[in-house]
Amino acid sequence: MPGDFGGRIVYLLQQYGGSFLKGAGVTMVIALVGTFIGCLIGFVAGIIQTIPVEKKDSVVKRGILWIVKFILNVYVEVFRGTPMMAQAMFIYFGSAAVFNINMSMWFAAFFIVSINTGAYMAETMRGGILSIDEGQTEGAKAIGMTHVQTMLYVILPQAIRNIMPQIGNNLIINIKDTCVLSIIGIVELFYTTKGVAGAFYTYFEAFTIAMVIYFILTFTCSRILRFWEGKLDGPDSYDLATTDTLAYTSGMLKYSDKEKEE
Amino acid sequence: MAETLLEIRHLSKAFGKNVVLKDIDFSVQKGDVTSIIGASGSGKSTMLRCINLLETPTAGDIVYHGKNILDGKMNAASYRAKVGMVFQSFNLFNNMTVLENCIVGQTKVLKMGREEAGKNAMKYLEKVGMAPYINAKPRQISGGQKQRVAIARALAMEPEVLLFDEPTSALDPQMVGEVLEVIKKLAEEGMTMLIVTHEMAFARDVSSHVVYMANGVIAEEGTPQQIFAEPRNPLTKEFLNRFTKG
Repeated sequence: MPGDFGGRIVYLLQQYGGSFLKGAGVTMVIALVGTFIGCLIGFVAGIIQTIPVEKKDSVVKRGILWIVKFILNVYVEVFRGTPMMAQAMFIYFGSAAVFNINMSMWFAAFFIVSINTGAYMAETMRGGILSIDEGQTEGAKAIGMTHVQTMLYVILPQAIRNIMPQIGNNLIINIKDTCVLSIIGIVELFYTTKGVAGAFYTYFEAFTIAMVIYFILTFTCSRILRFWEGKLDGPDSYDLATTDTLAYTSGMLKYSDKEKEE
Repeated sequence: MAETLLEIRHLSKAFGKNVVLKDIDFSVQKGDVTSIIGASGSGKSTMLRCINLLETPTAGDIVYHGKNILDGKMNAASYRAKVGMVFQSFNLFNNMTVLENCIVGQTKVLKMGREEAGKNAMKYLEKVGMAPYINAKPRQISGGQKQRVAIARALAMEPEVLLFDEPTSALDPQMVGEVLEVIKKLAEEGMTMLIVTHEMAFARDVSSHVVYMANGVIAEEGTPQQIFAEPRNPLTKEFLNRFTKG
């Protein structure tokens, strides 16, 4: 074991570089899958939350909507309002003890991260939908679109674009928070680092490496998402579909000549 | 006598205790260009929005081609597809290009093929002079251009009647001109239109029928010549005076 800090880091990397990479891989897989499924859950929950209830709707429809919205509210409040670490213990060990369901560790990991992200994304999605100007809905209705069509083609594409920064936030939070899953035995980056640190009692060095890896992961993801956001916005300029240079200015309708003749 | 397209009977609308429209009665013949004038808050826009079912009337009937659309049997979406609407704030779909804005209703609502819808969209975009801008997003064009695209979007659905809710109120004077010219052109082609407007000269020159609204009722209606030259209702006289003096 080298005597200086730098040397020890190099040594740890040489000895455990593969383990660190594997841990980072596990972290990323859980974070990416969890965020993706969580977003889907959140989208659906958010959309249901924003279904308008009209007076003329039948009692049955209103009743069902009320119940579904109530359940979704409970879901959001419970999973937002309790720590993910406690949820992990509760779900992983509780499912075995109470319901006799033997969840695989992996399934539990994906499940917990997804359901947590979903709870946050439900509110984010609701906010995203509410942020879209009422005029967009009216414009869509005015050309005869149904509620579902309006949502699908007009509101959701804009809402999702608007909540992209929040999706990025969630991904980054998930990359970091997967470390709580070490409590149910998932060997992700944090668990790996703890093991490496314990082997030679090199906590500072091992966690320096872990910090750098975490930062690289989150920073890369945030940049990729920024780039993707830019892509969604489309180009800043547009090509005029004409060769007529007179068309390059506004007010090109030349009816004014006709008016003068009158 | 031309065919009656739309008949409004005893239409009332209240928001809570606030009564906005009281017992409105009038009809629209095919080819009519009806201007609805009146002070802000007189219920003009609400009436137009009721006709397109964006607001649900509290009482009364809206009869379209002899069928009452308020009896609950008619599907609101399919009715709206035949009654086009142009808004004060344009309401173009911000996530689509100019061309897509004019296509989406045809493919999704009328279930037309994309190619045919594209051709149709181009026809109307050319009519409003926006064909060169098909690749632009709404945020990249000016207000007058947006409104012209909104008109093309409504026309692409080939509606039987077109409703305009203060189409030029959010525009500067130069853009007002370009939008009014488009509407004028449509009037000359025989499009049936209902126009809520504050442009008195336009209402006088273009419409075949003028409705003056005050305090939620139709105070006076008639031909533009009659309304503008010899208004019978003192309210109408006073309202028009404010414009001619200005």
